[in-house]
Amino acid sequence: MLQHDVLIVGSGLAGMRAALEVSSDPTLDVAILSKVHPLRSHSGAAQGGIAASLGNSAEDSWDLHMFDTVKGGDYLVDQDAAEVLTREGPENIFELEHMGCAFSRDDEGRVAQRRFGGHTAPRACYAADRTGHAVLTVLFEQLLRRGVKVYSEWYALDLVVKDNVCQGLVAYDILSGQIEAISAKAVMFGTGGYGRAFRVTTNAFASTGDGVVMAYRAGIPLEDMEFVQFHPTGLQGSGILLSEAARGEGAHIVNSDGFRFMENYAPGRMELAPRDIVARAEQSEIEAGRGVTALRDSVFMDLRPIGEERIRYALPSVLHLARDFAGIDPLDAPVPIQPTAHYSMGGIPCDINGQVRVKDVDGAPEITGFFAAGEASCVSVHGANRLGTNSLLEAVVMGRRAGRGILDAVHDLEPTSIDEGDMANAVGEVDHFLSADGSQKVGQIRAELRDTMMDKCGVFRDDAELKECLSEVKDYQERFRNVSIDDHGSTFNTDLLDAIELGHMLEYSEVITVGAIARQESRGGHARRDFPDRDDENWHRHTLAYRPQDGEDGPRLEYCEVNMEPKFREPFPLQERTY
Amino acid sequence: MAQQELIIQRYNPDTDESYEESFNVDVQPGQTVLDSLNAIKWEQDGTLSFRMSCRHAICGSCAMKVNGQSMLSCQTQVDAAAERGDPITVGPQGNQNVIKDLVVDVEKFLHQFERAETWLEPYEDQEPPEREYRQKVEEFDHWSHASTCIHCGACYSDCTVAAVDENFLGPAALAKAYRFVMDSRDAKREERLQFLSEEQGGIWDCTRCYMCVQACPKDVLPMDAIMELRTLAIEAGHVNNHGVRHHKGFMSGVRKRGRLDEMMLPVQSVGIGRLLTGNLAAHKEMMDYTPGAIRLLKSRKLLTIAQRHGANAEGREQIERIFEEVEAEKHHHDVDAEAFGAEFETAIGGH
Repeated sequence: MLQHDVLIVGSGLAGMRAALEVSSDPTLDVAILSKVHPLRSHSGAAQGGIAASLGNSAEDSWDLHMFDTVKGGDYLVDQDAAEVLTREGPENIFELEHMGCAFSRDDEGRVAQRRFGGHTAPRACYAADRTGHAVLTVLFEQLLRRGVKVYSEWYALDLVVKDNVCQGLVAYDILSGQIEAISAKAVMFGTGGYGRAFRVTTNAFASTGDGVVMAYRAGIPLEDMEFVQFHPTGLQGSGILLSEAARGEGAHIVNSDGFRFMENYAPGRMELAPRDIVARAEQSEIEAGRGVTALRDSVFMDLRPIGEERIRYALPSVLHLARDFAGIDPLDAPVPIQPTAHYSMGGIPCDINGQVRVKDVDGAPEITGFFAAGEASCVSVHGANRLGTNSLLEAVVMGRRAGRGILDAVHDLEPTSIDEGDMANAVGEVDHFLSADGSQKVGQIRAELRDTMMDKCGVFRDDAELKECLSEVKDYQERFRNVSIDDHGSTFNTDLLDAIELGHMLEYSEVITVGAIARQESRGGHARRDFPDRDDENWHRHTLAYRPQDGEDGPRLEYCEVNMEPKFREPFPLQERTY
Repeated sequence: MAQQELIIQRYNPDTDESYEESFNVDVQPGQTVLDSLNAIKWEQDGTLSFRMSCRHAICGSCAMKVNGQSMLSCQTQVDAAAERGDPITVGPQGNQNVIKDLVVDVEKFLHQFERAETWLEPYEDQEPPEREYRQKVEEFDHWSHASTCIHCGACYSDCTVAAVDENFLGPAALAKAYRFVMDSRDAKREERLQFLSEEQGGIWDCTRCYMCVQACPKDVLPMDAIMELRTLAIEAGHVNNHGVRHHKGFMSGVRKRGRLDEMMLPVQSVGIGRLLTGNLAAHKEMMDYTPGAIRLLKSRKLLTIAQRHGANAEGREQIERIFEEVEAEKHHHDVDAEAFGAEFETAIGGH
């Protein structure tokens, strides 16, 4: 059995920022474990910026940032968390800057800031349009400097929890095929989101919600899983992200008539309305027959109003992505775009110190020694819809806070252990796939699942489609029992990992769908055709989905209150959300 | 829908077998090489192994050789790779050990960043400012291209020096070192330049073959960064090393005789002063040249004393004029004279 004081799973911004914080205590042995090398983590794909009210371009304040965040999240945001996020934003940015982050600069030599959807001030700090990459790189550099141990290309199979005390992890060394127990007094999940269950997505192949499902299987309920953000500007077909920074810099979105249709949906903010609103507007235009290209399944984003020089300087990735992946030069022509599954608002419930716990529910489990941060977690700073550039901020701010939460807690935690019995589930799962000889194929089921989720649990939802969706997901789960793989080797067996990941996708897809069926209202990223209005009286609350126990047919749903108690100011009262 | 053949270089670690295998896939417009590999893996042969994640050229996982050149398979369209419908060959990155199929052991490549300590070292004698450090747009623009590296290893894979020298830091780590040398927030500029000048496998071991610049999917321009590091190192006075002596010796030979002087170059590179003072290490370095010199002699590539006269008087005059012109611009580009020497070296195809 391997052993550490602290084990952090996932090596994106949240995981690495937490590890950096924990490593400030030289008496602690901290390690990071990740199924990809840290530099490959999906945080690096974030493009447009990281929000903080530095006020470099225009007057700004954390209150205003907090208000924008709460309103952007359609008031499902926990206000204690949004307060922490926005108040601590600037110092976190300066800290990254002091580490050497390659932020773009304004004329005064300060960190440059640009406009972004749903933010009333230009507060997106950016590194051209590769901000995630810049932050990810600098955090990894500093971890190297500290000499933090990294289990690179190790796959976490199972979270071991006994009597509500987290013991550690069972993990699979992808290179050797060995299964190892790693015990730790504190474990943190920064394992990312779950967008891969949708056909059109910006997410990396790695974003399969592994951590979320491991927590769920360990008995922890999942919070607000039905809230999935569809980003309005994915490349047609592949869904590859074209940064919102394009609109921040002045790009237009038009329908087949060449009309900037946001005029009809959010005249006050036009293209810079929050993502859920722009995505729905696009979907409505497409469904009304005003889509573009032969397929009529997309609308145009036109970058030309920005001007060639500024596009080249501020949006080089957008320029290259459109050229390399759509064969279109945005300097000459508009780019067909469509809504694409982008961000997981839901996840593992935790408090503002990263401690995994169910808020405001009496008798709910608090798992000692288990922490979460970033997209895998649900704090919930994004509520029903995340504002652009708040995700990188959350990962950094909450990663740091989780690191500090671990530092505060770990010295009082007892050493843990994992025995052979605790490893049985993980070992059984791997053995099952390596020896299975069923007729079903992973790739086929996965493709069907992604179609189902995209078409029946997408930008717009209704009861009938969601129920069909659920029944299809259950059918895939059934077929999955009969799946077999080709690769039975022990070295770098990605065929095996594909199967395990599909198991995760099938499990959380059911949770998303069940939560979506139950929530009979429209709020943020969850838009019901049959319940088009927000219903605060009945639904201003978080969903908590518990894994079915013996005899239960599906996830058991409970609900908890939204936190309305910020510490340093009055809460923002619920209001109608218009832009 | 068109069909495309892919010939994939495979390696099975369980049986230690290497072999080529051909697959046919359906191709739609815009389909990438990575899409095609996935189609094979998901529909034909699940044992085919490769790394991938973001599929839009930012995570750096899927660099491999396509038709012999390293590139990101996610960024490479089948139509562009397959000329006239020829099969596309796909193989693992070079200069690294293959683990399985297209998966290579990246440890050696990534270790170079640790060796070069490519992270910001803060000033220890002063607190950072309360807000951000101020940094001029021009300063940022000068090095920001080198910060866009996605560590995919394509440059290292195609590097002609890494192919023969395990010790070479390689294009990516050197470009990243440059980024910190140029960043005013870093406290170790001087130490970096000294290390990069004197370390075996540092800036002077690049042969300017340009392969890294060609392979890089992100316009990092590693070789340009290495050349700029040379200039900066010389400016900072790091001239008493093999690399600088080699280039100076090269130049003086060309300037005096109009051609490379193979007889004298090793002596000049090792350092006449070091040899005369009986420096043991220097004499060992001279000994190391002996086998190469014998090979050159045998193949008649080492000029005899009689042949060493080189260019005639007119030629020498022309050469001298070139040097003078270059030196006139010296205040602007101090290294141009060095660059001339090195360019000459490239033009004559090494020695």
